Amino acid sequence: MAQNLTRYAYWQFRDFIRERGLALIITSTLLGLTIVAPMRVMLGSGIGEPDAKRILILALPQIVFISAFIALNGIISTDRKLGYYRFLFSKPVSIPAYYAQYFVISFVGFLAVFAFLLGIFAIVVRPVNPVGALAFCAIVYLSFGGIAFLVSSLFRYDWPILAGIYLGSAVINGFWAAETGWRMVIRNLLPPLHQLSPNDLINLGTVDGRALVWLLGYSALCFAAGLLVLWRRPIG
Amino acid sequence: MIELRSASKTYRPLFGRPVTAVVDFSLQIAEGEVLGIAGPNGAGKSTLLSLLLGYLRPTSGTVLIRGMEPRSFVEKNGIGYLSELMTINPNWKAEDALKRFATLASVPPGEIQTRVNAVIEELGIGEHRDKKIKALSKGNLQRLGIAQALLRDEQVMILDEPTHGLDPVWTQRFRGIVEGLRRPGRTIIIASHNLDELQRLADRVAIIDRGRLQRLVQTGYHQATDTGGTYRFSVAAGAHRVKELFPAAVDTGEGEFELAFGSIVELNSALSKLIAAGVLLAGVMPARSVLEQQFREAVGEKG
Repeated sequence: MAQNLTRYAYWQFRDFIRERGLALIITSTLLGLTIVAPMRVMLGSGIGEPDAKRILILALPQIVFISAFIALNGIISTDRKLGYYRFLFSKPVSIPAYYAQYFVISFVGFLAVFAFLLGIFAIVVRPVNPVGALAFCAIVYLSFGGIAFLVSSLFRYDWPILAGIYLGSAVINGFWAAETGWRMVIRNLLPPLHQLSPNDLINLGTVDGRALVWLLGYSALCFAAGLLVLWRRPIG
Repeated sequence: MIELRSASKTYRPLFGRPVTAVVDFSLQIAEGEVLGIAGPNGAGKSTLLSLLLGYLRPTSGTVLIRGMEPRSFVEKNGIGYLSELMTINPNWKAEDALKRFATLASVPPGEIQTRVNAVIEELGIGEHRDKKIKALSKGNLQRLGIAQALLRDEQVMILDEPTHGLDPVWTQRFRGIVEGLRRPGRTIIIASHNLDELQRLADRVAIIDRGRLQRLVQTGYHQATDTGGTYRFSVAAGAHRVKELFPAAVDTGEGEFELAFGSIVELNSALSKLIAAGVLLAGVMPARSVLEQQFREAVGEKG
């Protein structure tokens, strides 16, 4: 990757924290409180590690999916919509490389935000080993990231489409979980987020290898397609 | 050299009819040249510049910068570009924005602060360096836009409406900056509605309308001597004698007259006659520049 772009990573990280990181912290804290606070009251002061993990398993999926949506929507389309690309890409920069780097930077920022939120959880509830929870956050981001990147490379108003895909995936996977034929094909075309089990990761520290390969493979294909769109289609 | 060969660009919206913004456009722009681009609103100037920056691809024909596709050229070398739309994130601070652009422009890390300070000094925005973009006035924002285009010694510069929003002092200074940018090997393209500015800065001006290259005008004062034109006289005394000697003269009021001449020799002969007849002239100037005349002829009255 070009040195100028590598050095620009600092500015991209700053942008992520200022423009999305704070929104993520506020949204996640408020959302988390609605789940964590009643349980905290119910369980009283003597919360053991198993109870803390149960609270986390309940709260985390609710927060992480919406947070991934906040972190990823508009990752490319915002610059196109607001015309920021005009100044950025008159410089010697490859457009696909710029956004690929921003995707990685956002991933790092996303994990940093959740590390911070797990710190708050440790203070409010009790400390738990954060590795499983962070791994769950990482997998959600990467699984959702590919399709978000592709949609954002294609459409200026990507968030309603992304929300539709996300909700569609949740609904179809709920109703057509055991279906075969064309319904199975449609189910498989949508992001396979139902493959994720927070319980395995947080409680047992394990992950279903086949599900992980499916999730990340699906996302990698979408991400590559997004890069292809950026490479082939003019941004103006 | 920049070369457009029969370049056309048609927008095909999902709904509605296709719109052709640039039609069969052919032009060569030499290294070391300053080319002006003029045209009425909607003439296709912005689309043409987007083609040169590789933000759009031609529907047909080719656009080449030093033998390369524009996007490949930009990704390898960069272009000093000032957009007509000052689309910079409003939450960035002015100095930070310049540091960001300098980083992307491959200015070595150790030189970024020096270069940023230099362009801030040159464009006189020192007191605004810590302000957010959204807090800058139109003129200061425009100066910031010019500053970021000057961060690196670029081979190609594209300036879209560079003096838009600048006060007369900075408009004048900008002309000096462009004169300073002229050098062999550098191509400068300036798109502007200000014909006087293009007349002063450009070697040639491409007049475009309805997406087509209508005329390519060579600027420079020698043109006036060859082609003549309409001149305006300011008369301090003896105004009544002007109409007696030249019945075709148009009285525009307050002692001013306009009269067309076929050549500069004809103009001088007329001036001699007026002075000999006791007319006291206070000033003589072209009623409109050669470029303005050509522009009016090329695009009609809508320009």
